[in-house]
Amino acid sequence: MLPRISKAAVKAVLYFVLLYLVPSILISQLAEFAPDLFANYSQLLRLFVAVVIFFVVASELASGTIFQHAFNIGKAIILIIFYVLALDGGVISLNLNFESVPINIWADLRVYLMMLITIDLLGLAKGLLQAINFLSEKTELQVPTPQPAK
Amino acid sequence: MRQTIRALGWASNVFWIILLFFTVTAVYSAFQLRPGFGQPYESTSGGTFTVSLPFHIDNGGLYDISDVNLTTLIKDDYGLSVSNSSTFVRLIPHGSNVSATHQMSVSVSQIAAGNLWYLLLNDSTFNIDVALKLIYAHAVPFKISSNLTMPWGAPLSNLTLGTPSFTPTEAIIPISFENHSFFVLTGTMRLEIVDNHNNVVGERTTALNVQSQSGFGTELDVSVSGDPTNIREARLHFQTSVFNYGPLVIALV
Repeated sequence: MLPRISKAAVKAVLYFVLLYLVPSILISQLAEFAPDLFANYSQLLRLFVAVVIFFVVASELASGTIFQHAFNIGKAIILIIFYVLALDGGVISLNLNFESVPINIWADLRVYLMMLITIDLLGLAKGLLQAINFLSEKTELQVPTPQPAK
Repeated sequence: MRQTIRALGWASNVFWIILLFFTVTAVYSAFQLRPGFGQPYESTSGGTFTVSLPFHIDNGGLYDISDVNLTTLIKDDYGLSVSNSSTFVRLIPHGSNVSATHQMSVSVSQIAAGNLWYLLLNDSTFNIDVALKLIYAHAVPFKISSNLTMPWGAPLSNLTLGTPSFTPTEAIIPISFENHSFFVLTGTMRLEIVDNHNNVVGERTTALNVQSQSGFGTELDVSVSGDPTNIREARLHFQTSVFNYGPLVIALV
């Protein structure tokens, strides 16, 4: 159990640095140019990192069991929902005020969203196949080997 | 089964690398865009006032920008369209600099001819919708828009006919207005006097040369045939270098 916990902790720290610290620094630098534009995204980033780290740690702790694959499948589904919600279905619109002039920014990121969803669908398919493979291997181990007839 | 799982894992990794590469390069390229505006200049021709705004986009990024469309829609207070201008640039390849000029035209003669004629008499505020649409990297449609306001000065603001005074053969009619517009009002103004039987019983044409942001006031002596006390209304016709307008009917009694 201890190696699993330490492995999960190392992964959590790595994901935290890669997915939170580095993007946070980038976002804070970009926010200097347009504070209104990036203000909401730091909150979304925190939520995204929390979801990913939860599933990575849970999956690691449950490794070697069917729950590992269940967590991977859950992660893929939750992230698809998260991406759709975070990107407003792929069409984002922001209203800003630049020196008291109202500015509306609109971007159609559906191609980008499709790419994200494709990646997560691949992860979902992989998780499902891993779960099926895990169960079939387990079943094979439980079935007694037929003995030759005497 | 194991090969399929491995293949899916590889495919997922490859997609992640492509997506990260696209994201990083797209953000980097966006910061390499150098849009700029030149000095705007104005011109007036045939009753049309045109503001030309030169602009250029230096695409120093890694991706092309296509279907760039800059539109300006000028509307009056009631939402009626005064002017709709559009400038289209098909493609700005990466590493190139494209220049264009956006022209916004306001046709005063069309204002006078259509249902916006009240703008000749009343100051107002124009709402200007500015929108820039483009497709970034042939994949991401993008639009940035804003709404501005601009004051409109009427060329015949506060047009007033004073109380006429009469002699046995003439009507003396004080007339005044202020030119709040951006152009010099040059041309003629014709005043017709109409009696109770709808007959034109007198008329007078006077020259106009009213500078922008200045007033005009005079007393017009109009010879009237018949009884001057029978007159009902005055009809004003303007023929200027920028617009023609008339008749503007004003009751005199």
